[in-house]
Amino acid sequence: MTAIIEATNVAKMYQLGKDNHVHALRGTTVSIESGEMVAIMGPSGSGKSTMMHMLGCLDKPDSGEVTLSGRRVDTLVNGHLARLRSQEIGFIFQGFNLVPTLSALENVALAAEYAGKSRKEASQMAEEALIKVGLGDRLRHAPSELSGGQQQRVAIARAMVNKPAVILGDEPTGDLDTASSQEIVAMMRHINKTTGTTFVLVTHNPEVGEACDRIITMRDGAVIDDGRAAADNADEAVA
Amino acid sequence: MRTIRNIFRRKMRAILTISGIMIGVFALIVMGAMAEKITLLVDGGTKYYGDKVTMTAGKGGAMSLGTEPLSTKTVKEVEKVDGVARASASIMLLQDPKGGSVNMGVPPMIGGIDGRGKGLESFKITYAEGRDIKPGENGAAVVGADMVKKLNAKVGSNIKVRGETFRVVGIMDKTLTAPDSEIVVSLHDIQDMYVKQLPVMLRDKVDPATVATGLTIYIKKGQNPETVAKRINKQFPNFTATGPKAFQEQIASSTKIFTSIIFGIAMISLLVGGLSVVNTMTMAVSERTREIGIRKAIGATKRAIVRQFLAESAVIALIGGFMGLLFGALFVFAANSGNTGTPLFLLTTRLIAGSLSFALVLGVLSGLYPSYHAARLSPVAALRYE
Repeated sequence: MTAIIEATNVAKMYQLGKDNHVHALRGTTVSIESGEMVAIMGPSGSGKSTMMHMLGCLDKPDSGEVTLSGRRVDTLVNGHLARLRSQEIGFIFQGFNLVPTLSALENVALAAEYAGKSRKEASQMAEEALIKVGLGDRLRHAPSELSGGQQQRVAIARAMVNKPAVILGDEPTGDLDTASSQEIVAMMRHINKTTGTTFVLVTHNPEVGEACDRIITMRDGAVIDDGRAAADNADEAVA
Repeated sequence: MRTIRNIFRRKMRAILTISGIMIGVFALIVMGAMAEKITLLVDGGTKYYGDKVTMTAGKGGAMSLGTEPLSTKTVKEVEKVDGVARASASIMLLQDPKGGSVNMGVPPMIGGIDGRGKGLESFKITYAEGRDIKPGENGAAVVGADMVKKLNAKVGSNIKVRGETFRVVGIMDKTLTAPDSEIVVSLHDIQDMYVKQLPVMLRDKVDPATVATGLTIYIKKGQNPETVAKRINKQFPNFTATGPKAFQEQIASSTKIFTSIIFGIAMISLLVGGLSVVNTMTMAVSERTREIGIRKAIGATKRAIVRQFLAESAVIALIGGFMGLLFGALFVFAANSGNTGTPLFLLTTRLIAGSLSFALVLGVLSGLYPSYHAARLSPVAALRYE
């Protein structure tokens, strides 16, 4: 298998105040293979969200390299990164990540519009994506008229509308009850299996971790377990 | 549509901000309409006096007494001066001897003229109804467009001015300048009225058949009216001849100050409205920081974010602008149709276009800083914002 996103020796420091800085990442390396569904877990402040930002081209490292589909991306300018995000990466965030004034359809279409599609085309693509996540009958509903689970399904539809290679999730089940949470995880797993879309999910939720192919564990800005051994063992056990 | 929905997320705030712009544009429209009316009066006056010299009795002004009065006899003498084509005698009196109602520019006058200027007058007067007075047609009057309502004048009806009754023979078309508030009667009739209003001891000294308060002097083609005025002043030291320049300069300088003050006040109120747009948009950006983060994460470029917020502030300004225009126009319309004679306001297309574009430009400028601020947010920082 080939790596679709790779962060090599990535370091990131945040300046919180004068003489107060946090080493969010200390020369960390993470490699995600195409078609994988990976969870990044670890306590708060372990650097897992920062790692997701690096992998998702939302932020640039102070040192180290990030590559997406073999291309180096950490050196690109912001405008280029925005285009990359719109076309090759999908995002799902923790709760309240839809635009409240837009309908479900418009929220999903927005991502296609940002990727350069016409309004009409974007709207069509959005409808298809929403039907796939089972919200074909909720197209015109505002986020406030949808349950938490439904809102998160809209977010999934938005993440996949441009058919990206990778979908990144930051606590995608964070604000959901157990049933909705399971439903969302199952849906992501289904998409991963049927379309081959790579998923990288930052999570606290062990159930999310269990559903994934492997779990990368981080602590204090470093990877302490990349989960490959466990994944291999699991493969062997299946074999 | 999306832009409108975003604006009205905070209904009260949107309404207040729009009202701010609305009041500014309202002020600009109403005060601007007043300034436009003045400018037009001046332009009209400039044209009216553009090619002729006016002559009045004495150095102290038209009505000063104890000096030699003008008379129709002077007409013949002035016509002998080099460069003069013809001279025409006239008398102008206030319609209301006590002063009368509030008015911009020229107060309503009643005048009589000998008609010698026929064919030479470059300022053409046309008639909405009826006709001009025939030479020597006494007891008849022609009424200016703005006086029709005030006097309830119709062709064939009688009107009463300064105690005298006249039969209306014509109603003038609107000229947008002095004649609109004038009543024209025969020279004979106005001479009688003029003499009547003089103090008793002076009445015997003037001949009602020849008296005049002003001469309008038409200049031969190719002659400079200012030079001719100088020539006349030299030959008639007891009278004052004034060229068009003096009138134009005097009026132009005072209207300039007046219109600048008017526009200044209106601009200030609109600027205050603009600042409230800045405030609203800045608040909108900070409230929607997380949303901006999400939009950026899913691929919005800086330009897309700037466009979104600029569109919102421009739409706020345009809604406010159109409402201000609507209310301003209604106000102007209502004020003009009030029964006060000369309209005080003139709503011109350039004023409407100017006010709306100013509001739009102000809206866009007000949105620049907040939009730029929003676009510059790093997606990570914006996403962390709760």
